[in-house]
Formats: sequence, structure tokens, C-alpha cells
Amino acid sequence: MSARPCAVVGIGQTHHKSRRLDVSFGGLVREAVFRALDDARMTMADIDAVVLGKAPDLFEGVMKPELYLSDALGAVGKPMFRVHTAGSVGGTTAIVAASHVQVGKHRTVLAVAFEKQSEGNAQFALGSGRGASLGAGGAFAPFIRAYIHRSRAPEHIGWKVAVKDRLNALRNPYAHLRIEDISIEKVKASPMMWEPIRFLESCPSSDGACAMVLTDEDGGKAAAADGRPPAWVLGTSSRSEPPSFPGRDPVRPAAALQCAADVYSQAGITEPRRQIDMAELYVPFSWHEPIWLEAFGLADEGEGWKLVDDGTTELGGSLPINASGGVLSSNPIGASGLLRFAEAANQVRGAAGEHQVEGAKVAIGMAYGANSQYFSTWAVGSSLQPFA
Amino acid sequence: MTRFLASTITFPYKRSLGPVVGAFMTALTERRILGIRNGETVLVPPMEWDPATGAELEHDFVEVGPAGTVKSWTWVSAPSEQHPLAHPFAFALIQLDGATTPLLHAVDAGSAEAMAEGGRVAPRWRGTRLGRIDDIVCFVPGETPETEGEDTGPAEQPVERMDYLASITYRNPVPDATDRAVEASKDHRLLGLRCPTCQRVYAGGRGYCPIDALELGPDCEVELPHAGTITNYSIVTPVQYPGQTETEPFVRAFVLLDGTDVIVPYAAVIDLPADEVRVGQRVAAVWASPAEEIDEGGGMGGAWGALIGWIPSGEPDVADPDLVNRIF
Repeated sequence: MSARPCAVVGIGQTHHKSRRLDVSFGGLVREAVFRALDDARMTMADIDAVVLGKAPDLFEGVMKPELYLSDALGAVGKPMFRVHTAGSVGGTTAIVAASHVQVGKHRTVLAVAFEKQSEGNAQFALGSGRGASLGAGGAFAPFIRAYIHRSRAPEHIGWKVAVKDRLNALRNPYAHLRIEDISIEKVKASPMMWEPIRFLESCPSSDGACAMVLTDEDGGKAAAADGRPPAWVLGTSSRSEPPSFPGRDPVRPAAALQCAADVYSQAGITEPRRQIDMAELYVPFSWHEPIWLEAFGLADEGEGWKLVDDGTTELGGSLPINASGGVLSSNPIGASGLLRFAEAANQVRGAAGEHQVEGAKVAIGMAYGANSQYFSTWAVGSSLQPFA
Repeated sequence: MTRFLASTITFPYKRSLGPVVGAFMTALTERRILGIRNGETVLVPPMEWDPATGAELEHDFVEVGPAGTVKSWTWVSAPSEQHPLAHPFAFALIQLDGATTPLLHAVDAGSAEAMAEGGRVAPRWRGTRLGRIDDIVCFVPGETPETEGEDTGPAEQPVERMDYLASITYRNPVPDATDRAVEASKDHRLLGLRCPTCQRVYAGGRGYCPIDALELGPDCEVELPHAGTITNYSIVTPVQYPGQTETEPFVRAFVLLDGTDVIVPYAAVIDLPADEVRVGQRVAAVWASPAEEIDEGGGMGGAWGALIGWIPSGEPDVADPDLVNRIF
């Protein structure tokens, strides 16, 4: 791919909460946008185009929020795009924004994603407005049962991921869930929601937003010269597959495998486990950590759970996963993917604060959506040639 | 003739108004209309930001109106249920005295002939106001505000949220393949469609192969068996939401039909409690009686018609370690 370099020079997010009753939609997204612009030392006038992502309109009952929010985002007279790939949408939003820079169409692009779950009801929206909604947990429980069966993973793996991500969240001032006394016993004792998924192995419902400023090579170098290291985009990929067909494997979806292979090939990653320093994977239910470790080549098939069991994926381990606390700690659905991409970028910028992975040079951010059928991933690095 | 089915989606959303629109709505309950200063201009309704540049605005509120001037209008001769008035009225852009931007609202003018650019109008307030834009029922010709019914006074607390009951009705075309599957189900036949290219079989009235992007016509039909094995399942703890029909944990099972590669996904089970469902369990199809109402299609995923669920058949379980992986 003969893409031009693209750098992430600004990141902002809201403090995610169950209910942000103090802000309108506009107020919510602007909180994240101004933090990202401040981080980039820019104003709205420096932005050439805006890309907005959120979950389907049924979540808040606002048709075309991209038009409704265009003036709130300073997009009057500028190109404005809406991205729509279910739960992976936040990731795809960053990819669409990056692609505008990579093809040389726009110099500086603002990516924004949000969800205000308190205005509606996720189970209602996921069930297309009908009764007996499966919800995400009901949809994914059979996939998790299949994974546990074929990998022979012990049941405490799910509990361990749930504890790890909540401990990481205590280091992230923006995280929604702050469970100070989180423990294996507490997770194990929490109610069974969608067997084998327990309540504390599930993501919360959050109001929140994330924003990111992406710019060209000159902009990235200028930020670096100013002592503000950017994250360089090393590779991006979005892949999808039909929701159901005989023989489909939702534990190792073809779209996920292809998405990983595509990103790694662009980024020059040949040994993901060794070359990637940390990953922000979309883990709304704890068992998705080992599932995605395997599908994204960070562990061999059937071995992902062992990296959880031996502490490899903890913040102090050799491959930290979701140092931010992940989707298990904050889930403003539309923004959750962009948060993964943003946290990966902040790690290679050395800007992750209390949950910084020491010396992180290459990170991946990943999001998935719908019936485990949409995948978006990017690899970012502290330099354009991290393996040189 | 393509058959259409209507379905309505309704939900009571809650809007968080934020500090600026919240102040505007709170003032409406006091029968006052607020704008916000933006340099030389006064925006009504007030906004949190400059609409041209996105710059944050100081919360410098200005009371405007209550009367104003019609800048432009259009006549609604046949109002729908969702319009603010049940009889013909005008939608107008009304520049309230002291404002520099027009407010969109209804004018109860009696007839289109009574409407004119430059005409003067004043609000007709609702007696009981909740902090919504329809606390102003509409505007009426003249300079004098009115109140409809008994005035119950302003809100006791600042208005921070607004109820928004959204409702939309769709008319979905039912694919021919769904029609054929539903008709067959009334004769207790389970139809499948075999893709001529990949040989995969699709049930449930889904008339296409997503792998080969082929439409599957009547020539692709195959009869499917009425017995199968549960390969995997979900036990869903229902969360309560408007429109939820379940109160107790319920089961959705994946049923592999005997001698085929076909999974009936997310299938309802009958006489099978949530704590008894298991992988490998043998089940048989249950059909609706002719008098029962059945799913005739119209949703996105086809329809199963008179096939209403699966019941344990009492046969011994199937012990195949790979079954659990057959979700689709």
C-alpha cells in the first residue's frame, strides 16, 4: 500500500459514566473534542474534515446525528462523514479518518465517536425494538461456550480477565467502573446473566465520547519536534462477513483472521506475539480476551487462555491487554472502538499516564461488532519504521 | 404481488438537555422565552455553541418576545397525528422581538389567507407546562399571549431531561422465498433452499446464499427433517425495557437437523426449562395449530411460520464432541 504517513497528534475522551445527565449530545462530544484539540495544540479552525461514528440510531432515537452535531463539531462548511459498522464503528471511524490523510485528500481530520446509552436502552435497540431481545450477552454466550469447550480452558479464566481489566481501570481516570474491591470471589459470586457469562464478566452501559486528531507527516513531525510524540499509523484494516451461514465459525471468524493478516502485512509484523508490545482488544465479555488473542495471532489456537492464566496479559506482563481497563470497564458503544484505537495510540506516544506500558513502541487497537462479523484493527508505532 | 407487512417500533427516549437548552426549557415553564447572546446576535432557541464556528458561548441569556414577526411560513392542510395541531395550521419561522434568529413553530391562523410575511404573532401557552417546546401550543395572530386552560405554574425544579416518545412504522416487503416457506409450514413442511454453487442449505425463508450472492428460487427447494439435536444454546436473563415480553430466563437453542448441515438458529424451545437444556439433546419440531397466529415474516431474518419451536423427544443424547461448535 503506497499510503502517505498519518500521525495521531491529539486524543481526548470524556469521563465515562452510566448517566451523563449534565450534558446534551453536543456537550458530550465537545468535551472529548476540546480535549483532543488541546492535546494537539489546535482549534476547530485547523480541522479539514470530520468523521463521526456511533451505534445504530435506535440506541438514542436520533436520526442522522452526524448532521445534527455538525455545528457542535465545528464542521460547518467542511466535509462530514458518518461511519456505520455496528460495535466496531469507533475503530472504523479512526480508519476512515486516517484514510483521508493517507490518500492526501485532507491534511488534518477529526475522528469523533460517542454513545449516550442513558437516553435509550441497549437491549431494546439490539433486539430491533421487539420483546425477548437476546442482548449482546445472549448472542455471544454460545460462542464462548464453544471456545471453552474446544480450548478446554478452566472457568476461572473468565473471572481473571474480569478482575485484571477492573484493576487496570483503577489507574485510568476516565474509566466508568471503579470497583476498588474487585476480586475473583466477587466475580464468581456475581449473578449468572447468560450462562456461562456472569454479571461482573460483562461490560457496563456507559455515556461517553472519544475524539482523535489525525494529521499528515509534516504535522506529525512538527508535533514530535515540539516534544509531543505522535503515534504513527502502521496499518489499518476493516473486514466483515455475513452474520450466519452453514459452517461459519464465530470463535475464529474468517473476517477477524483476514483483518489481522491485512494489518500485520501493512505494518511489517511477522511475529505478532514478539513484535507487538501491547494491545487494546474489544472485550465486552471477559472470555473475548483469549478468543481474540487467538484470532489475532497473539497466541496459538487453543492457547490464548494460558496467557491470561500466567499473567502475561496483565499490566506488568510481557503482553499487556487492555491496560486502560477496556470495554469491560467503560462501554459507550459507538465510542468503545475509537477508545481502543486511541488507547493504543496513547501507549506508543508514552501518554497513557498511570496505565502506561513501559517502553511500548508498537500497539494494536481492535474493535468488533454485530454478530462477531465486523472487524476493525490498526497498528500504531512510536516511529514509522519501528522494526528497522 | 409482493406482500407487505407493517411493523411499528416505539420507544420512550429521555433527552439530557444540557445547561443551555435546559435553561430555555425551564424558562418556558415560567412562560418566558430565552435567547443567548452570541456577539451582536441573539440566538433563539439558545445554543451551547456558535453555529458557524463551534466556539463555546458564555451563558449570557436574554429574554425575548413573547411576540414576534413571521419571516416565512408554509401551510399544513392535512395534519398527521405527529403534527402539533389537529386542524390545518402554518409552520412558520418567527423572529421573536429581541432575537436575531427565527424560531420554527406552529401558527394557528385559521386559514392560509390569514398568514403573511411580516405578520405579528404571540404564543398560546399550555396551562400545564413540562419544559418542552410544545409548552407553547402554537402561536396566534396578534400581540397578546394566551394561556390554554388553567395555569398550573412553573416547574418546581430546573428542567434537565425531556421525554421523547419516538415511534416509526415500517412497511417491509416479504420476499417470495419467505412466503413459500411460511405457506409450506402451514402444511407442517420445513422448506430449505440449496445453493447450486456451494451446496449449503438455508432454512427459514431466507432466499439467498450470502456466500455466493445468489438468489435461491423454487427450483432450489428441499424438504428438511423435523427432528434434530441441540448443538448450543443461550439462556437469557431478561432485562426489562419498554416492549420486553419476558420476565423469566428463557432459552434459545441451535438445532442441527438430522442428516443435514442445517442449523435452525436461536430457536424457541417448548417444555424444556432453562436449567435442563444441554448440548446433544434430541428435539422434535412443534407446529402451530391452524387457529394460532404465526410469524408471517416482515422482519429482517425471514420467518419460520407455523414452526413455533422444538420439544425434547426423549431419545438418548448425541455424544459428538464437535456438536457445540455448530452454532451456524
